[in-house]
Amino acid sequence: MVPPLVLDPQPGELVLDLCASPGSKTTQISQQMRNRGLVVANEPSLSRISALRANCERLGAVNVAITRYDGRRFPSMLFDRALVDVPCSGEGRARIDPGIWKRSSKRRSLDLQPLQAGLLSRAVDLTRPGGIIVYSTCTYAPEENEMVAEKVLDRSRLERISLPGLRSSPGLQDWEGRDLDGELERCARYYPHQNDTGGFFVAKLRKW
Amino acid sequence: MSPSCGNGEEVPIPSKRGEKGFRPLDKSQVASLWTERFGISEEAFQGYRFFAKAQSIWVCSDFPLPALRYESVGMRMMSLKDWPWKPTTSALQIFGRHAKKNVVHLSEAEARAFMAGSSLCLEADCQLGYVVVFYRGEVLGCGLYSRGKLVSQIPKDRRVESCQG
Repeated sequence: MVPPLVLDPQPGELVLDLCASPGSKTTQISQQMRNRGLVVANEPSLSRISALRANCERLGAVNVAITRYDGRRFPSMLFDRALVDVPCSGEGRARIDPGIWKRSSKRRSLDLQPLQAGLLSRAVDLTRPGGIIVYSTCTYAPEENEMVAEKVLDRSRLERISLPGLRSSPGLQDWEGRDLDGELERCARYYPHQNDTGGFFVAKLRKW
Repeated sequence: MSPSCGNGEEVPIPSKRGEKGFRPLDKSQVASLWTERFGISEEAFQGYRFFAKAQSIWVCSDFPLPALRYESVGMRMMSLKDWPWKPTTSALQIFGRHAKKNVVHLSEAEARAFMAGSSLCLEADCQLGYVVVFYRGEVLGCGLYSRGKLVSQIPKDRRVESCQG
Protein backbone atom coordinates (compact mmCIF):
# COMPACT_ATOMS: atom_id res chain seq x y z
CA MET A 1 0.00 0.00 0.00
CA VAL A 2 1.17 3.49 -0.83
CA PRO A 3 0.87 5.48 2.45
CA PRO A 4 3.39 3.28 4.36
CA LEU A 5 5.78 3.53 1.40
CA VAL A 6 5.54 7.31 1.54
CA LEU A 7 5.95 7.23 5.34
CA ASP A 8 9.18 5.22 4.84
CA PRO A 9 9.60 4.08 8.47
CA GLN A 10 13.07 2.89 9.48
CA PRO A 11 14.08 0.00 11.79
CA GLY A 12 14.46 1.21 15.36
CA GLU A 13 12.14 4.20 15.05
CA LEU A 14 9.06 5.05 17.11
CA VAL A 15 6.10 5.29 14.73
CA LEU A 16 2.44 6.15 15.30
CA ASP A 17 -0.41 4.71 13.23
CA LEU A 18 -3.24 6.87 14.53
CA CYS A 19 -6.20 5.12 12.81
CA ALA A 20 -4.86 1.61 12.55
CA SER A 21 -7.63 -1.02 12.19
CA PRO A 22 -7.83 -3.48 10.48
CA GLY A 23 -4.05 -3.31 10.29
CA SER A 24 -3.01 -3.76 6.67
CA LYS A 25 -0.92 -0.58 6.78
CA THR A 26 0.21 -1.24 10.36
CA THR A 27 1.65 -4.61 9.45
CA GLN A 28 3.28 -3.18 6.33
CA ILE A 29 4.95 -0.52 8.50
CA SER A 30 6.07 -3.26 10.92
CA GLN A 31 7.58 -5.20 8.05
CA GLN A 32 9.33 -2.13 6.63
CA MET A 33 10.88 -1.66 10.08
CA ARG A 34 12.01 -5.33 10.00
CA ASN A 35 10.10 -5.93 13.23
CA ARG A 36 12.40 -3.54 15.13
CA GLY A 37 11.60 -0.29 16.91
CA LEU A 38 7.97 0.21 17.87
CA VAL A 39 4.73 0.92 16.03
CA VAL A 40 2.01 2.30 18.28
CA ALA A 41 -1.21 1.29 16.51
CA ASN A 42 -4.15 3.26 17.80
CA GLU A 43 -7.78 2.32 17.23
CA PRO A 44 -10.57 3.94 19.25
CA SER A 45 -13.19 1.30 18.51
CA LEU A 46 -13.05 -1.77 20.77
CA SER A 47 -14.94 -3.84 18.21
CA ARG A 48 -12.25 -3.17 15.57
CA ILE A 49 -9.28 -3.96 17.83
CA SER A 50 -9.72 -7.73 17.59
CA ALA A 51 -9.20 -7.64 13.81
CA LEU A 52 -6.16 -5.40 14.25
CA ARG A 53 -4.69 -7.75 16.85
CA ALA A 54 -5.44 -10.86 14.82
CA ASN A 55 -3.77 -9.44 11.71
CA CYS A 56 -0.68 -8.36 13.66
CA GLU A 57 -0.34 -11.80 15.27
CA ARG A 58 -1.03 -13.68 12.02
CA LEU A 59 1.72 -11.74 10.27
CA GLY A 60 4.21 -12.00 13.14
CA ALA A 61 4.36 -8.26 13.86
CA VAL A 62 5.96 -8.22 17.32
CA ASN A 63 6.93 -4.55 17.20
CA VAL A 64 3.30 -3.37 17.32
CA ALA A 65 1.64 -2.16 20.53
CA ILE A 66 -2.08 -1.39 20.35
CA THR A 67 -3.75 1.51 22.14
CA ARG A 68 -7.39 2.63 22.25
CA TYR A 69 -7.57 6.40 22.49
CA ASP A 70 -9.65 8.96 20.67
CA GLY A 71 -6.88 9.96 18.26
CA ARG A 72 -7.71 13.65 18.69
CA ARG A 73 -6.81 13.34 22.36
CA PHE A 74 -3.89 10.90 22.12
CA PRO A 75 -1.54 11.51 25.12
CA SER A 76 1.33 13.91 24.54
CA MET A 77 4.66 12.41 23.46
CA LEU A 78 6.88 12.58 20.37
CA PHE A 79 7.11 10.07 17.51
CA ASP A 80 9.59 9.93 14.64
CA ARG A 81 6.80 9.42 12.10
CA ALA A 82 3.02 9.29 12.07
CA LEU A 83 0.50 7.83 9.65
CA VAL A 84 -2.97 9.38 9.68
CA ASP A 85 -5.18 7.25 7.45
CA VAL A 86 -8.44 8.87 8.44
CA PRO A 87 -12.07 7.74 8.25
CA CYS A 88 -13.38 9.14 4.96
CA SER A 89 -16.28 9.01 2.53
CA GLY A 90 -14.49 6.26 0.58
CA GLU A 91 -15.27 7.49 -2.94
CA GLY A 92 -12.08 5.83 -4.18
CA ARG A 93 -13.60 2.44 -3.34
CA ALA A 94 -16.53 2.90 -5.71
CA ARG A 95 -15.20 0.28 -8.15
CA ILE A 96 -15.81 -2.43 -5.56
CA ASP A 97 -18.80 -0.76 -3.89
CA PRO A 98 -20.78 1.38 -6.37
CA GLY A 99 -23.27 2.18 -3.60
CA ILE A 100 -20.70 4.64 -2.24
CA TRP A 101 -21.79 7.23 -4.81
CA LYS A 102 -25.30 7.24 -3.35
CA ARG A 103 -23.94 7.82 0.15
CA SER A 104 -21.33 10.47 -0.69
CA SER A 105 -22.09 14.17 -0.94
CA LYS A 106 -20.42 17.47 -0.28
CA ARG A 107 -22.39 17.64 2.97
CA ARG A 108 -21.00 14.28 4.11
CA SER A 109 -17.45 15.34 3.26
CA LEU A 110 -17.84 18.58 5.18
CA ASP A 111 -19.25 16.64 8.13
CA LEU A 112 -16.16 14.41 8.17
CA GLN A 113 -13.72 17.31 7.83
CA PRO A 114 -13.55 18.35 11.53
CA LEU A 115 -12.71 14.79 12.61
CA GLN A 116 -10.08 14.45 9.87
CA ALA A 117 -8.55 17.83 10.66
CA GLY A 118 -8.54 17.05 14.39
CA LEU A 119 -6.72 13.77 13.82
CA LEU A 120 -4.14 15.33 11.49
CA SER A 121 -3.57 18.25 13.84
CA ARG A 122 -2.97 15.90 16.78
CA ALA A 123 -0.57 13.82 14.67
CA VAL A 124 1.45 16.96 13.94
CA ASP A 125 1.52 17.73 17.68
CA LEU A 126 2.78 14.19 18.32
CA THR A 127 5.62 14.22 15.76
CA ARG A 128 9.11 15.47 16.64
CA PRO A 129 10.45 18.51 14.78
CA GLY A 130 11.80 17.29 11.44
CA GLY A 131 9.64 14.14 11.64
CA ILE A 132 7.29 12.93 8.91
CA ILE A 133 3.50 12.85 8.93
CA VAL A 134 1.59 11.10 6.14
CA TYR A 135 -2.08 11.98 5.73
CA SER A 136 -4.13 9.69 3.52
CA THR A 137 -7.72 9.00 2.46
CA CYS A 138 -9.44 6.81 -0.08
CA THR A 139 -11.61 9.58 -1.43
CA TYR A 140 -11.48 12.26 -4.12
CA ALA A 141 -13.32 14.98 -2.19
CA PRO A 142 -11.07 18.06 -1.82
CA GLU A 143 -12.96 18.90 1.38
CA GLU A 144 -11.43 15.74 2.92
CA ASN A 145 -8.04 16.02 1.24
CA GLU A 146 -6.30 19.29 0.29
CA MET A 147 -8.62 21.35 2.50
CA VAL A 148 -7.62 19.23 5.52
CA ALA A 149 -3.88 19.21 4.75
CA GLU A 150 -4.02 22.98 4.27
CA LYS A 151 -4.96 23.40 7.95
CA VAL A 152 -1.52 22.27 9.24
CA LEU A 153 0.72 24.13 6.78
CA ASP A 154 1.50 26.68 9.49
CA ARG A 155 3.30 23.89 11.42
CA SER A 156 4.66 21.68 8.66
CA ARG A 157 5.61 21.77 4.99
CA LEU A 158 4.52 19.47 2.22
CA GLU A 159 7.08 17.28 0.46
CA ARG A 160 6.70 16.03 -3.10
CA ILE A 161 5.74 12.36 -3.48
CA SER A 162 7.27 10.18 -6.16
CA LEU A 163 6.94 6.41 -6.30
CA PRO A 164 8.57 4.75 -9.32
CA GLY A 165 6.06 3.03 -11.60
CA LEU A 166 3.00 4.65 -10.03
CA ARG A 167 1.25 7.49 -11.86
CA SER A 168 -0.41 10.27 -9.91
CA SER A 169 -1.91 13.72 -10.33
CA PRO A 170 -0.87 16.77 -8.34
CA GLY A 171 -2.98 18.11 -5.50
CA LEU A 172 -5.59 20.72 -6.33
CA GLN A 173 -4.65 24.39 -5.96
CA ASP A 174 -8.19 25.71 -6.21
CA TRP A 175 -11.67 24.31 -5.69
CA GLU A 176 -15.10 25.74 -6.45
CA GLY A 177 -13.68 29.19 -7.11
CA ARG A 178 -11.51 29.32 -3.99
CA ASP A 179 -7.73 29.45 -4.25
CA LEU A 180 -5.96 26.90 -2.04
CA ASP A 181 -2.34 27.08 -0.85
CA GLY A 182 -0.04 26.61 -3.85
CA GLU A 183 2.07 24.17 -1.84
CA LEU A 184 -0.79 21.66 -1.99
CA GLU A 185 0.29 20.81 -5.52
CA ARG A 186 2.89 18.53 -3.80
CA CYS A 187 0.11 16.20 -2.60
CA ALA A 188 -0.61 13.14 -4.75
CA ARG A 189 -3.99 12.10 -6.15
CA TYR A 190 -4.23 8.55 -7.50
CA TYR A 191 -7.14 7.88 -9.86
CA PRO A 192 -8.30 4.39 -10.86
CA HIS A 193 -7.57 4.87 -14.58
CA GLN A 194 -3.92 5.75 -13.90
CA ASN A 195 -2.78 2.52 -12.25
CA ASP A 196 -5.87 0.25 -12.35
CA THR A 197 -6.26 0.62 -8.58
CA GLY A 198 -8.77 2.19 -6.22
CA GLY A 199 -8.59 5.96 -5.88
CA PHE A 200 -6.78 7.61 -3.00
CA PHE A 201 -5.02 10.73 -1.79
CA VAL A 202 -1.69 11.08 0.03
CA ALA A 203 0.04 14.10 1.57
CA LYS A 204 3.57 13.91 3.03
CA LEU A 205 4.34 16.58 5.62
CA ARG A 206 7.55 17.37 7.45
CA LYS A 207 7.11 19.08 10.77
CA TRP A 208 9.05 22.31 11.25
CA MET B 1 -2.82 -21.63 40.60
CA SER B 2 0.61 -21.52 39.01
CA PRO B 3 0.90 -23.78 35.94
CA SER B 4 3.63 -26.32 35.64
CA CYS B 5 6.48 -26.58 33.14
CA GLY B 6 5.17 -29.99 32.20
CA ASN B 7 7.55 -31.93 34.40
CA GLY B 8 5.76 -31.23 37.65
CA GLU B 9 7.70 -28.07 38.52
CA GLU B 10 5.85 -24.80 38.85
CA VAL B 11 6.38 -22.05 36.30
CA PRO B 12 8.41 -19.36 38.11
CA ILE B 13 6.10 -16.62 36.83
CA PRO B 14 3.15 -15.79 39.06
CA SER B 15 -0.03 -15.32 37.04
CA LYS B 16 -2.69 -12.96 38.28
CA ARG B 17 -6.24 -13.41 37.08
CA GLY B 18 -7.71 -10.05 36.09
CA GLU B 19 -4.34 -8.27 35.98
CA LYS B 20 -4.89 -5.03 34.02
CA GLY B 21 -1.45 -3.67 33.11
CA PHE B 22 1.45 -5.30 31.30
CA ARG B 23 4.09 -6.31 33.86
CA PRO B 24 7.70 -6.51 32.55
CA LEU B 25 9.34 -9.90 32.97
CA ASP B 26 12.95 -10.91 33.14
CA LYS B 27 13.99 -12.42 29.82
CA SER B 28 15.68 -15.39 31.44
CA GLN B 29 12.44 -16.27 33.27
CA VAL B 30 10.70 -16.82 29.93
CA ALA B 31 13.67 -18.22 28.04
CA SER B 32 14.26 -20.94 30.64
CA LEU B 33 10.76 -22.34 30.04
CA TRP B 34 11.30 -22.54 26.28
CA THR B 35 14.81 -23.94 26.74
CA GLU B 36 13.51 -26.67 28.99
CA ARG B 37 10.56 -27.64 26.78
CA PHE B 38 11.91 -27.07 23.28
CA GLY B 39 15.69 -26.79 23.67
CA ILE B 40 15.62 -23.21 22.35
CA SER B 41 18.67 -21.29 23.57
CA GLU B 42 18.30 -17.93 25.32
CA GLU B 43 20.13 -16.30 22.39
CA ALA B 44 17.00 -16.79 20.26
CA PHE B 45 15.22 -14.30 22.51
CA GLN B 46 17.74 -11.49 22.09
CA GLY B 47 16.05 -8.37 20.74
CA TYR B 48 12.75 -9.01 22.52
CA ARG B 49 11.05 -7.97 25.75
CA PHE B 50 8.52 -9.96 27.72
CA PHE B 51 5.46 -8.98 29.69
CA ALA B 52 2.83 -10.69 31.79
CA LYS B 53 -0.83 -9.76 31.79
CA ALA B 54 -3.59 -11.78 33.38
CA GLN B 55 -2.64 -15.38 32.60
CA SER B 56 -0.62 -14.80 29.45
CA ILE B 57 2.93 -13.86 28.54
CA TRP B 58 3.49 -11.39 25.69
CA VAL B 59 6.57 -10.80 23.55
CA CYS B 60 7.47 -7.46 22.00
CA SER B 61 10.43 -5.95 20.17
CA ASP B 62 13.14 -4.68 22.51
CA PHE B 63 12.11 -1.02 22.60
CA PRO B 64 11.28 1.14 25.63
CA LEU B 65 7.49 1.26 25.87
CA PRO B 66 6.10 4.79 26.15
CA ALA B 67 3.87 5.35 29.16
CA LEU B 68 0.50 4.62 27.51
CA ARG B 69 -2.51 2.45 28.29
CA TYR B 70 -2.12 -0.62 26.06
CA GLU B 71 -4.66 -3.08 24.69
CA SER B 72 -1.86 -5.39 23.56
CA VAL B 73 1.92 -5.34 23.44
CA GLY B 74 3.54 -7.29 20.60
CA MET B 75 1.92 -10.72 20.49
CA ARG B 76 0.62 -13.23 22.98
CA MET B 77 3.37 -15.81 23.33
CA MET B 78 2.07 -18.36 25.81
CA SER B 79 -0.87 -19.04 28.03
CA LEU B 80 -0.42 -19.90 31.70
CA LYS B 81 -4.12 -20.52 32.19
CA ASP B 82 -4.00 -24.32 31.99
CA TRP B 83 -1.55 -27.05 32.82
CA PRO B 84 0.94 -27.35 31.18
CA TRP B 85 1.62 -23.84 29.80
CA LYS B 86 0.73 -23.53 26.13
CA PRO B 87 2.74 -21.74 23.42
CA THR B 88 0.75 -19.83 20.78
CA THR B 89 1.04 -20.83 17.14
CA SER B 90 2.10 -17.24 16.28
CA ALA B 91 4.98 -17.37 18.77
CA LEU B 92 6.07 -20.81 17.58
CA GLN B 93 6.17 -19.49 14.02
CA ILE B 94 8.80 -16.99 15.21
CA PHE B 95 10.80 -18.93 17.79
CA GLY B 96 9.92 -22.56 16.96
CA ARG B 97 12.51 -22.83 14.19
CA HIS B 98 15.20 -22.86 16.89
CA ALA B 99 13.63 -25.86 18.64
CA LYS B 100 15.84 -28.90 19.17
CA LYS B 101 13.43 -31.19 20.98
CA ASN B 102 9.71 -31.90 21.14
CA VAL B 103 9.38 -31.28 17.44
CA VAL B 104 7.31 -33.26 14.91
CA HIS B 105 7.96 -33.30 11.16
CA LEU B 106 4.95 -34.08 8.97
CA SER B 107 4.53 -35.51 5.48
CA GLU B 108 2.53 -33.54 2.91
CA ALA B 109 -0.70 -35.42 3.57
CA GLU B 110 -0.25 -35.10 7.33
CA ALA B 111 0.50 -31.39 7.03
CA ARG B 112 -2.73 -30.84 5.06
CA ALA B 113 -4.75 -32.61 7.72
CA PHE B 114 -2.95 -30.75 10.51
CA MET B 115 -3.64 -27.36 8.91
CA ALA B 116 -7.30 -28.34 8.54
CA GLY B 117 -7.42 -28.85 12.31
CA SER B 118 -7.53 -32.66 12.30
CA SER B 119 -5.86 -34.99 14.75
CA LEU B 120 -3.22 -37.41 13.46
CA CYS B 121 -2.15 -40.84 14.62
CA LEU B 122 1.65 -40.97 14.60
CA GLU B 123 4.56 -42.02 16.74
CA ALA B 124 7.08 -39.29 17.53
CA ASP B 125 10.19 -39.07 19.69
CA CYS B 126 8.58 -36.44 21.96
CA GLN B 127 7.56 -35.96 25.55
CA LEU B 128 3.83 -35.70 26.14
CA GLY B 129 2.57 -32.14 25.77
CA TYR B 130 2.86 -29.28 23.33
CA VAL B 131 5.21 -29.70 20.37
CA VAL B 132 6.48 -27.64 17.44
CA VAL B 133 5.06 -29.00 14.18
CA PHE B 134 7.15 -28.65 11.01
CA TYR B 135 6.57 -29.30 7.32
CA ARG B 136 9.52 -29.09 4.90
CA GLY B 137 11.58 -27.13 7.43
CA GLU B 138 8.92 -24.49 8.11
CA VAL B 139 6.98 -24.21 11.35
CA LEU B 140 3.26 -24.85 10.88
CA GLY B 141 2.33 -24.23 14.49
CA CYS B 142 1.51 -25.89 17.76
CA GLY B 143 0.39 -29.48 18.28
CA LEU B 144 -0.54 -31.46 21.39
CA TYR B 145 1.20 -34.85 21.41
CA SER B 146 -0.04 -37.66 23.56
CA ARG B 147 0.56 -41.40 23.20
CA GLY B 148 0.69 -41.73 19.42
CA LYS B 149 -1.79 -38.93 18.72
CA LEU B 150 -1.07 -35.38 17.53
CA VAL B 151 -3.93 -32.91 18.04
CA SER B 152 -3.76 -29.80 15.90
CA GLN B 153 -3.77 -26.56 17.90
CA ILE B 154 -4.00 -24.33 14.82
CA PRO B 155 -6.49 -21.56 15.74
CA LYS B 156 -9.88 -22.04 14.12
CA ASP B 157 -9.68 -18.82 12.13
CA ARG B 158 -6.33 -19.85 10.66
CA ARG B 159 -7.22 -23.37 9.64
CA VAL B 160 -7.03 -24.25 5.95
CA GLU B 161 -9.68 -26.75 4.90
CA SER B 162 -8.18 -27.49 1.49
CA CYS B 163 -4.55 -26.59 0.82
CA GLN B 164 -3.67 -26.17 -2.83
CA GLY B 165 -0.72 -28.34 -3.86
